[in-house]
Amino acid sequence: MTSSSITAEGIVVEFPIYENSHRSLKKAVLNLTTGGRIGQDAGRHPVVRAIDEMTFGFSDGERIGLVGHNGSGKTTLLRTLTGVYEPVRGKLKVRGRIASLLDVSMGLDPDATGFENIYLRGILDGLKPAHIRSKVDEIADFSDLGDYLNLPVRTYSSGMMLRLAFSMSTSIEADILIMDEWLSVGDADFKAKAAQRLETLVGNASIVVVASHEPELIQRVCTRKISIEHGRIVADEPVVPKVSADDSDVPAGSEVPDLSAASTASRSAA
Amino acid sequence: MMNDAVIDRGKTDLASHDGSDDLIAGICAVRVWGTLGWHDIRQRYRRSVLGPFWFTLSTAIMVLVLGALYSQLLHQDIHEYLPFLAIGLVVWGFISSVANEGCSTFMGAAYLIKQIRIPLTVHVCRIVWRNFLILLHSLPVVVVLIVALGRSMSLEFLLVPLALLILFLQGVWISVVLGVLCARFRDIQPIVANLIQVAFFFTPVMWSPEVLKSRAWVASYNPLYHLIELVRAPLMGHPLQWQSWAWSLGMLVVGFLFAHLLMRRTRNRVPYWL
Repeated sequence: MTSSSITAEGIVVEFPIYENSHRSLKKAVLNLTTGGRIGQDAGRHPVVRAIDEMTFGFSDGERIGLVGHNGSGKTTLLRTLTGVYEPVRGKLKVRGRIASLLDVSMGLDPDATGFENIYLRGILDGLKPAHIRSKVDEIADFSDLGDYLNLPVRTYSSGMMLRLAFSMSTSIEADILIMDEWLSVGDADFKAKAAQRLETLVGNASIVVVASHEPELIQRVCTRKISIEHGRIVADEPVVPKVSADDSDVPAGSEVPDLSAASTASRSAA
Repeated sequence: MMNDAVIDRGKTDLASHDGSDDLIAGICAVRVWGTLGWHDIRQRYRRSVLGPFWFTLSTAIMVLVLGALYSQLLHQDIHEYLPFLAIGLVVWGFISSVANEGCSTFMGAAYLIKQIRIPLTVHVCRIVWRNFLILLHSLPVVVVLIVALGRSMSLEFLLVPLALLILFLQGVWISVVLGVLCARFRDIQPIVANLIQVAFFFTPVMWSPEVLKSRAWVASYNPLYHLIELVRAPLMGHPLQWQSWAWSLGMLVVGFLFAHLLMRRTRNRVPYWL
């Protein structure tokens, strides 16, 4: 129960790209009956290899930072670990309960109220109704939305929607935490709170995999950095922690980084 | 299919399933699809006064108007024809909307499928359950008609819940099959829509097979007729029809077998097709 792990051996993920004609039943049938003379494109479609024979092993206590350009395969890898995409080839072994923060606003139903959305999300995460009810208050408190939670989500401002989504998706308990980009949401007050909550979440999970474009973040949060290019691992190195007074495994709550400053800095540098 | 990947996710929660146990895992997640299905219904009627009872009302109006008209056209006894038509329309409504919505199950649930791993069958059961709820809301019309017309209820009435359960399960395999095929081949959907429309006129919903006289065999080889008759016969107080049960159970076994094979082959491919 306590030991979580992820091992991958030569996993490959390929996306078939179907143009309209490839989705056509007629073409597929014609292809069958004519031996490929008419509609011969039905069998051939371009394939994008998003992950190309990756081999790695993550074990208890590791915090992995994934870096790489846009389109290098980071998000696909995260989705593969979550189980959305199954590898076409290779071996993937996952031990432990996974929680993923891929898209914060996952499944927010605009016509349902805030409370209903919290409930639905809990159900999708496989929680029991009693368990969800016990968490609703905590989520409501954290989001600071008060009575707005009784209104349909479509009446929210985008900032409020993000608050709700963030509070919901970070209220999970899991052994393995998978994150696409460090989330930073809301106004200054909320941002500080959010950053603190993420640190706790990271502290409680036994394995963390986070994709990020911010070197400072990886330096601060991760113990291992994996660089990906064209779906292959090009570098896999330990992150040497900066020697400082209070740099322990569990980050102290007092240290609240200004994430927005970090992100703008790295973006302008890139 | 070139798929020699070995995936091992342990046995922890909803995420741990693969193509071979997706159907079972999905159907067993009653709480998940039950909640989502209810939510869909509530959502659709959020700002209306009657809510889901619109289904009841619209069924009642449809049955009364069509019943009055067609009992004349087909020279049928209205006492017999009204409940016959009502049950037929209600069950047909379920079958046709499950088939039609089943086609777009996975496309409609793409936003969830690409975010969170739960059995694909959960998305299917959500659709079937929400249509089943509509069926349950329309069924009171039938019961009221039976009582109002002074029809006696026979012992066969007790078979109705079992018949409804079978109907629900038929919906599941039909939607799994259509959902997978339509995710891959997008022009199956209009074909299905068309077939359903034609089948309505070909199936004894508005007319009873006795009208056909010597050609009644047309109905007895129509699986959809047996599916309707499964619910209709006990409600009408007709004696048990073993052919209908044999056809329905046979369809259930063959259908689930096919759905299972399809799922085992394609469970892992569906997310790529969306």
